[in-house]
Amino acid sequence: MTTLPAFGRRSALGFAAAGLLAPLGAARGQQPTIRVGAPLPLTGPLAPEGIKQRNGYDFWAAAANARGGVDVAGTKHRVEIVYADYASNTPRAVQTAERLITQDRVNFLFSPFGSGAAKAASSVNERYGIPTIAATASSEQVYDQGYKFLFGTFTPNSTLTEPLAEIVTGANPQVRRVAVLARNDLFPLAIGQEMVASARKRNLQVVFDEKYAIGTMDHASAITQMRAQRPDWVFATGYTNDLILIRKQMADLGLRAPVVTMIAGPAYREFISATGRQAENITSAAWWHPAVRYQGQDLFGTTESFNQAWEQRFNAEPDYAEASAAAAGAILQMAVEAARTIEPAKVRDALAAMDATTFYGRVKFGPTGQITSLEPPVFQIQGGQPRVIFPQGIKQADLRFGVG
Amino acid sequence: MLYLQVAANGLVLGGLYACIAVGFSLVWGVLNVINILHGSFIVLGSYLALFAYQVLGLHPFLAILPVAAALYAVGHATQGLLVNRVIAAPVLMTLTLTFGLDLMLNNTMIVAFTADYRRLNLETPLGVLFLGDVVLPGDRVAAMALALLLTGGLWLLLRGTRLGRAVVAVRMDRDAAALMGVNVPRINAVTFGLGAAMAGAAGVLLALIFPVSPLNSGLFLGKAFTVCVLGGLGSVPGALVGGIALGLIESFGALWLGPEWAITISFMVLIAVLALRPDGLLGRRGYA
Repeated sequence: MTTLPAFGRRSALGFAAAGLLAPLGAARGQQPTIRVGAPLPLTGPLAPEGIKQRNGYDFWAAAANARGGVDVAGTKHRVEIVYADYASNTPRAVQTAERLITQDRVNFLFSPFGSGAAKAASSVNERYGIPTIAATASSEQVYDQGYKFLFGTFTPNSTLTEPLAEIVTGANPQVRRVAVLARNDLFPLAIGQEMVASARKRNLQVVFDEKYAIGTMDHASAITQMRAQRPDWVFATGYTNDLILIRKQMADLGLRAPVVTMIAGPAYREFISATGRQAENITSAAWWHPAVRYQGQDLFGTTESFNQAWEQRFNAEPDYAEASAAAAGAILQMAVEAARTIEPAKVRDALAAMDATTFYGRVKFGPTGQITSLEPPVFQIQGGQPRVIFPQGIKQADLRFGVG
Repeated sequence: MLYLQVAANGLVLGGLYACIAVGFSLVWGVLNVINILHGSFIVLGSYLALFAYQVLGLHPFLAILPVAAALYAVGHATQGLLVNRVIAAPVLMTLTLTFGLDLMLNNTMIVAFTADYRRLNLETPLGVLFLGDVVLPGDRVAAMALALLLTGGLWLLLRGTRLGRAVVAVRMDRDAAALMGVNVPRINAVTFGLGAAMAGAAGVLLALIFPVSPLNSGLFLGKAFTVCVLGGLGSVPGALVGGIALGLIESFGALWLGPEWAITISFMVLIAVLALRPDGLLGRRGYA
């Protein structure tokens, strides 16, 4: 056992005393704060996604604080986001969420990235009764656990494939043969299965339905097999890295089709710049697009003003993941303001009862906590830009056929 | 027809894998250093090629030599200044050191270049070659040619030059080599530099094929590791044979059992090789 020298002991006592007194000082002089925990994959393979989410949360916190903070029954509370990096490791995401609740004493939580990690971490916030918003979890399996404190801003996966199938078959009844190649990962696989279901529902022939493993560096065999089936519609799922490679290998091996859909990648700028001309006419769908137009009751107001403020700060258009993260903050703020308290159970009830329009779209959560009111746009890369082809109200272009 | 195309896919994929692995195999085989930095060296080579093309308009084929030279300098300095200090320690020590250096290099690249995926899109793409009905992407054929060139060059270097004989001598018996007047730390630095230069050269061509991002370094490293174990250490053509074997196994595995099994099958074959031929397909003790 070691003993501290006299000076060291006194300093240690001094530090301890300062530590004990600090919160009193904070309570006396400073503005109260709302602490929101955000476990994110800020390093590792999911870092690009994690950084997008952090940008969205930061953007909301800055906007809220610029207006003096969140109004809790007349008292303005400053927003503080407590970030914790879980290095793209799902088990660590769960531990990180727990640490944010028990040690950092956050009032609310934003879920970790994606359906898999959000589902894994949801048992933690449920146990502690902390209202949590998942900004990037769409799979229904995340929400069907009977949990009361989890809310999500993405509609189920079928809301992406159904309008796609409707538009494609409506515009060209010749499209009969569908090939699906899905990354063997919770979301990409689920959306691939939804596509198969949407295709079968319309009596389309699914001529190829395969998965590829995470970390696959070559799709030549799968693409060669697809080409032999002469599909009219190629539907590939995965993340940006996978889809850039798949698109390149499709061109290399001469797989052409009237319709090529990729989820989720084409919504991101880097997909378009990395694939260049090969991005042309690729269709995709996402939960949000900068072209949507809503008159929000939230702090951002209209979609246009959100886009404008975002572009001013980040010098680029917001994408759906960034917008969803900012929307998660705005939704939380509306719930706290409606509840007039930061007490978790009351904020939870306010979230459950919410029915409001935001810059992101109409926000109403279903009985499982997953949003049910969004109408996800379908878009196509035309002239190097994503152009909305559905819904009708915000349509920017007609669907074009032919991806070569 | 389908089989021919899949075999062609496997061959050119194997060329890519060989390209990724050849420098890693050299460093592991000669220095007994498992260089975790290798994947990041490849990615650094890709970025240098990307910027050389975007800023200077330098075609990747012309960028191979300068990029390899730059990576040689990085590798030589890394070994000379850092790895040489622990080279005599058990292999875990050098592994930990290169692991730490990799974390630093990789995260520096994330900060400097962002983690966004990019690609080197040539104004006039390399196109595809047709052999009857079989399609061969030009960039993969180029990578295969580079892998052959690097392997051949390395073979000639080790066989026919004084430097090469010194490298082999250090591999066989470090102490005896020192007694014969070989400057062992310098030879170590040269070998590590050559490994890095090969990674850089591979990175230039891979920028045409794979998305460029620091996040891909782990994938490259994993492949290099598998190829080396499969092909065998201590043999110059080991990486080439291991790479082509892995490419063919993955391609036919994906055809017969579905794409999701490709990686699993390659690891099953790897385990079988380890059990039946622990030195790999062409491995032998020493290095020549």
